[in-house]
Amino acid sequence: MNRNTVPWRYRILAVLSPLALLALWALVTMQELVTPILLPPPLAVLAALKDMVAEGYSGVDLGTHVVSSLRRVGIAFVAGAVCGTMVGLLRGRVIEIDALFLVPSEIVRPIPPLGLIPLFILWFGIGETSKILLMFLSIFLITMVNAQAGARACGLDTLRAAQSMGASGWQTFRFVVFPTALPQIMTGLRVAMGTGLTILVAAELLGGDRGLGFLILDASSFFRTTYVFAGIILIGLIGFVSDLVLVALRGRIIHWEGKR
Amino acid sequence: MIGTTSKSVGTTEPGAATERPVLTFDRVGFAYGDRTVMRDVSFGIGSGEIVSLLGTSGCGKTTILNLIAGFLRPTEGRALVDGAEISGPGPDRGVVFQAAALFDWMTVAENIAFSLRCAGRPRRERRQVAEETAALVDLAGREDAYPYELSGGMRQRVGLARVLAARPRVMLMDEPFSALDVQTREDLQEQVLRLRDRTGCTIVFVTHSIDEAVFLGDRVFLIDNLRQGQFEAFAVELNAPRASSENRLAPAFLRLREAIYRTMRHSH
Repeated sequence: MNRNTVPWRYRILAVLSPLALLALWALVTMQELVTPILLPPPLAVLAALKDMVAEGYSGVDLGTHVVSSLRRVGIAFVAGAVCGTMVGLLRGRVIEIDALFLVPSEIVRPIPPLGLIPLFILWFGIGETSKILLMFLSIFLITMVNAQAGARACGLDTLRAAQSMGASGWQTFRFVVFPTALPQIMTGLRVAMGTGLTILVAAELLGGDRGLGFLILDASSFFRTTYVFAGIILIGLIGFVSDLVLVALRGRIIHWEGKR
Repeated sequence: MIGTTSKSVGTTEPGAATERPVLTFDRVGFAYGDRTVMRDVSFGIGSGEIVSLLGTSGCGKTTILNLIAGFLRPTEGRALVDGAEISGPGPDRGVVFQAAALFDWMTVAENIAFSLRCAGRPRRERRQVAEETAALVDLAGREDAYPYELSGGMRQRVGLARVLAARPRVMLMDEPFSALDVQTREDLQEQVLRLRDRTGCTIVFVTHSIDEAVFLGDRVFLIDNLRQGQFEAFAVELNAPRASSENRLAPAFLRLREAIYRTMRHSH
């Protein structure tokens, strides 16, 4: 959907639906249908957020929590996406490489990241390495599968056209296979970003005293539900903004998509 | 006139044919595993000649094209271009595909100059060649458009131009105009004839339309049963300039069309 052709109805509904959810939330809590320990009212969450902005959480200011989480996700995302995309593209075009990765990656892929936490603690300790590797693994696997499917989408005639114009193997890969795979690669990046943030909370279970995941877990163990909600909303916002960025990038890079 | 030993070059273009063929099939056979597609196919195609390969779907005419392009290798015999055995695809044998197979992520100019980019030519030269070649196929002014902004006919013009830009010895065309409307198709057929006159390029044109085969070809190879190496070669005797729509109504055109039609009917 082109930005200039987004109909008004779409925009209105996209804005109305979160407002409606917010209203429902406010209504349920104002009528005291649930105890605030389970579902605090929106204004209380806002107050908790304000408090964290002013005072920080657990002796560390909010910016530091956010930045340390972003840094972990960022490193894992860039490294995972680059490695996953490269391996996926190669798997899509070189059957020997596909064969090498087939069994290992298909065995690891269904394992829930949470199940790997004890192992990662044993292997890599409870520092940054474990946290980043846990996210890296999931992002790697998702981007790999998508890049592989994208590389396979290249039609025989398109490949032959490149070869008959003198393209070497590398030139065919760079000028033809890679652009063909780009739409699917971008889809993989979006899914991987979402999953990476999901695993962030689990990764920050591994110990440490900063990060939004730590904040949420710490607040929940003291039943400070308003802070749990504030942390969840911050992670949600990070996910929303990063997805907007990826979608905008996609529209800019893959200008030809769906136009034929 | 079984064409297995045919060396006659039926061109009406003076000086278009030379003694030594550009393309030679010497008892070529091809099989996918146990399934034989062709056996014992021999012919020679002269410089600047246009040969139409005419036949029904699955008769093996596209296989001939793929063997010349180097996408497939003969399982028997030899396929030669300028006397050298064909060992793979190369820019000396450009291919125009039925569905154009353009690179949607590149502009028209980038598509046209793709072979130069692969050969490591500088940007300015690529741009210049792209503009010259675009003008040759009536695409001047559309160099910066993307393929998805073009009509089907214009897309095929880009397909033609990117092959021409590589200055090939041979152009291979695989039913390139079959999805276009009649008017566009006839325009492009005349364009192909003019391009041949201008560049002296040898063209092998695959089609299932008798009219197209006769209008374009200096010879028409009517492909029937390649498993026995058989096809019939018809010489086309039409007036120059060949790129004239008048030729579509010429008695010689109509007679040959009828002869080919009767041969096709007879053999089935």
